[in-house]
Amino acid sequence: MALFRSSAQLLRTAAEVRFVPPPALYHKNVIDHYENPRNVGSLDKKDKSVGTGLVGAPACGDVMKLQIKVDDSGKIVDAKFKTFGCGSAIASSSLATEWVKGKSVDEAIKIKNTDIAKELCLPPVKLHCSMLAEDAIKAALKDFKIKNQSMQTAAAVD
Amino acid sequence: MKWKSMKTFKEFSTSKQLYHPELSSNDYEVVADETLDSLTEFFEDLPERLRCDEEYDTSYGSGVLTVKISNKWGTYVINKQTPNKQVWLSSPKSGPKRYDFMEGTWIYKHDGKTLHQVLTEEISEAMGTEIDCTKCAYGKQDTS
Repeated sequence: MALFRSSAQLLRTAAEVRFVPPPALYHKNVIDHYENPRNVGSLDKKDKSVGTGLVGAPACGDVMKLQIKVDDSGKIVDAKFKTFGCGSAIASSSLATEWVKGKSVDEAIKIKNTDIAKELCLPPVKLHCSMLAEDAIKAALKDFKIKNQSMQTAAAVD
Repeated sequence: MKWKSMKTFKEFSTSKQLYHPELSSNDYEVVADETLDSLTEFFEDLPERLRCDEEYDTSYGSGVLTVKISNKWGTYVINKQTPNKQVWLSSPKSGPKRYDFMEGTWIYKHDGKTLHQVLTEEISEAMGTEIDCTKCAYGKQDTS
């Protein structure tokens, strides 16, 4: 029964593909970020005011690098990303850099994957991309914190 | 001594073991396929057991199970993620999660909850009645 139903569905889909132009599968917000990505690039990862987050696994086809530059008052003054992955992953990281810029470190950590998914109208199967972007922000913030903690410790030892 | 090492080997070669640090690719395929097949059957049979929404729909193909509960509640996607030997869940209630196979079931390392526990809780709430997903294959944590 299930087999019959799925084959009937397949036939119908095949017929639709032949006669109707396929619909745009990505939401316009995703396409906007994909075609015009914000803040692509790199910051100097050795700079102590820069935090670098690298998340994902090359084998899965999604790798995201997100970097933040933080000024003395704890405000994120610049952000850059490089992402290897699907349109939703690229859009999620592009949006993430846009959102962290101008925020304080404490505000940036509150950015949720659900906010990113909502803004980009991601379908259920693509929620993981927004999660990767949240992980990338957190990883960058953590890297920045660790770097500056060790700087302080080093200064104390000196 | 020999007997002991044999026993260790046997323990590690069974698919339902206490801890699975290095699940072989073959074992992963078997366990993940059985998990998804069992869940697919469970969700396909659900309308026969209780009243589901008119929009309720399930589909399974190429390692991706999609379950639409209703327009209002949303859609669940459970899929195989072969490169890292995980099973991924996308929930309209609680968002995305990535499960590793350990202790005989699929566990999300961040909160220690199993895939089947989350599904049981959320689908029960969605349906307004108690349902139990942990009866599906690899649905129960081996606590012994």
